Amino acid sequence: MPSPRRHLLTAAAAWAVLSVVSVALVAGIQILPEIASREAQVEDAAFVLLTAAAMPVLMFVLVGLAYSALRFRAGDDDDEDGPPIHGHGGVQAVWLGVSSLLVLGLFGYGAVGLLEIRGSEPADYVVEVVAEQWAWHFIYPDGTETKELHVPVDRRVRLDITSDDAIHSLWIPAFGIKQDAVQGRTTYASMTVTQPGTYGGMCAELCGLGHTGMTVTVVAQSMADLEAWLHDQPPVPE
Amino acid sequence: MMRPSLLRALIGAVLGFAIGGGSLVLLGGGEMGPGQILGLGYLLALLGFLLGIGAFRFWWAWIAGGEVDPADEHAAHGAAGDWRRYLRFTTDHKVIGIQYLVTAFVLFLVAGLAAMFMRFELAQPGIQVNKDFYNTVMSTHGAMMITVALVSIIGGLGNFLVPLMIGTRDMAFPKANALSYWLLPLALLMVAINPLLGGFDSGWTAYPPLSQQANLGQQAYLMAFITIGVSSILSAINFLVTVFRMRAPGMTLFRMPIFVWAMTVTASLVLIATSVVAAAFTMLLFDRLLGTGFFRPSRGGDVILFQHLFWFYSHPAVYIMAVPGLGAILEIVPVFARKPLFAYPLAVASFIGIGVLSFMVWAHHMFVSGMADAFHIPIMFTTEVISVPTGIVFLSALGTIWLGRIRFATPMLFVFGFLAAFLVGGITGVYLADVPTDIVLSDTYFVVAHFHYTIVGGTIYGLFAGTYYWFPKLTGRMYSEGLGRLHFWWFSLAFHATFLPMFWLGIEGMRRRVADYPAEMGAVNLFVSFAALNIGLAVAVFVVNMVRSWRRGPATVANPWRAQTLEWQLASPPPVDNFEHQPTVSATPYQYGSAAAPSPGHPAP
Repeated sequence: MPSPRRHLLTAAAAWAVLSVVSVALVAGIQILPEIASREAQVEDAAFVLLTAAAMPVLMFVLVGLAYSALRFRAGDDDDEDGPPIHGHGGVQAVWLGVSSLLVLGLFGYGAVGLLEIRGSEPADYVVEVVAEQWAWHFIYPDGTETKELHVPVDRRVRLDITSDDAIHSLWIPAFGIKQDAVQGRTTYASMTVTQPGTYGGMCAELCGLGHTGMTVTVVAQSMADLEAWLHDQPPVPE
Repeated sequence: MMRPSLLRALIGAVLGFAIGGGSLVLLGGGEMGPGQILGLGYLLALLGFLLGIGAFRFWWAWIAGGEVDPADEHAAHGAAGDWRRYLRFTTDHKVIGIQYLVTAFVLFLVAGLAAMFMRFELAQPGIQVNKDFYNTVMSTHGAMMITVALVSIIGGLGNFLVPLMIGTRDMAFPKANALSYWLLPLALLMVAINPLLGGFDSGWTAYPPLSQQANLGQQAYLMAFITIGVSSILSAINFLVTVFRMRAPGMTLFRMPIFVWAMTVTASLVLIATSVVAAAFTMLLFDRLLGTGFFRPSRGGDVILFQHLFWFYSHPAVYIMAVPGLGAILEIVPVFARKPLFAYPLAVASFIGIGVLSFMVWAHHMFVSGMADAFHIPIMFTTEVISVPTGIVFLSALGTIWLGRIRFATPMLFVFGFLAAFLVGGITGVYLADVPTDIVLSDTYFVVAHFHYTIVGGTIYGLFAGTYYWFPKLTGRMYSEGLGRLHFWWFSLAFHATFLPMFWLGIEGMRRRVADYPAEMGAVNLFVSFAALNIGLAVAVFVVNMVRSWRRGPATVANPWRAQTLEWQLASPPPVDNFEHQPTVSATPYQYGSAAAPSPGHPAP
């Protein structure tokens, strides 16, 4: 039977190798399927960092379980007890210290990301969003109302969102925004779209029978194209 | 006078409903809607049911100034070997424990069938059955499984084991204990029949305004959950008084089995938090029935207020579900690793830490709700900090198995399965605590995967581990080890195959609570549905094992696992009055590997 120290070193080596390999596999990949805004970039970076930070933790417990299952398994007719270890002050202190530091680090990183996404940077362009069961309405600065959402690229865009009935939630995955629409309140989501193109959006909060089908087409284009498009829209019927 | 019985309780319920509903129909002059009629009808039906089952007869005798019939009181405690005691108002905590456990497993199967229907609808893109019915089934599945997670370990294993583990005859308030159980059947019936009342499509979270618009089934759910809340609060008071007032001599707080600590922390959370959600649901009922406007913006109410009240209970509730599972796991680990529980005082401190912090994290469910931005940072902080005490459970478990002499009986397999699954649940929780990633993941299948990893990983694995481990104590018979292993491996493979892909589906943009999804997600969803079917089949193996072993399993000895907690020092199953002699306790029940007495808590000779 190897010494306790030997067990510890073998398992630690397995953990170190698996952690390095898994972190290397995770680092540098893109996790979000589509990134078309600054916000989505911040979120994707957060995904990668959290996943990389999770790997050593995951491997620590899995290696501990697997190693114990393989090496500390008692024989069928063995009815002896293990050593009477009730605890270990050093191990407990290190565990508490490391897990607290890890958590504080992740919190700090998250707080920075949060400020980048929802900081108080003023908006260049504001679109009002009104949700109802089960449709979206978009109202532009010139008063035009549409069912498709068009936004300018490379501008700070704010959506002021409200609802006429149930709670809805406007989710545009490529832009990295999701914000509930609430009756009696105006909520907001800001974004800076970097990639022109046509994207999908949808309602993310269960809002009744038509929830599944409550989707929307979203177009990001230059300011000039957006203004031309708005000009071509029929006036809102009285 | 007819003896109190289930039949009389059912007659009482029907009469109560007829009187309550009927009086509104007759006296309401056509003003009363079905909601009001159902409301008063249910209230009086519940009262009639409890009168019929005999829940109030002892208290009534006392109030009326008469004597409580000692023969009746003794009979209510239940005679050993008489199966009818399980269908009566029986005050023996062991009977109540088994009533809770069996009820919870029946509910688990019904809610599991609902999940099978959901995976059938989701097996292919497009609508297979019906969108509206899907929403009702999804809401019912959630409501029922939440109840399973809330009552199975606490009400089932907790009731059976806590008095035994602390060396006492019964709970502090045996009649209130029986009342907590008998509040449940009618409430659960209401949840089960909600599709006949038009169902409800708000999910178990019941957010207004959707829940203000929804059918009568919504009201059935709200009334049922308030009832379950009352039952939980009664039971929590009972546990706390029992633990703090009735421990055997020498059983100091820090010699209590870790499972008893878990129940104590859980009962404190139940006591503090439950009234908040009961209040929120009552306000919602008033909005629906009495024309108030608590959550109606058009009348000065506020929609988001409901979410704050709801999650102020429902996040602690996640720990109300998980901590008993953690306690069961940590109770089992030392027995099968043959080593003392590692860092027992720190594990106790971590349960208390989880309990305190659990009240400060609720708003992480609301990062995209429109609540004040300034609130995001402190809630993100507390939510990430709670992973430190939760992580201590892994330290204790890993520290115990390390250098142990491990026996892989079925309970220990479930301990390992628990640690793997709950770990994934914990790690993925960090993505939901971090606001930038949560904005992407909120309301997606990632959330569905995460909470199934925590609640199945935390509660249901703990429940399975505990049910196998204590099965010989509960029944006096041994389960089939072969079927137990088959259940473990089949269940675990199917569980991971079902829920791991859901993380990916969520990131790819599949929303939760939808009956349909983009066609390109079809293949993965078909795989998930197939895996989910296997969860159902694996659970069927468990049911067969339990039913067969309970009826015909080989008789077992008092302490087949050579465990050191007090319940194993009694016969299996324990005698009606538990301890013939008052036990005394001189150490924690984790003295494995020491030359000292094999069990530190002997019933004194």
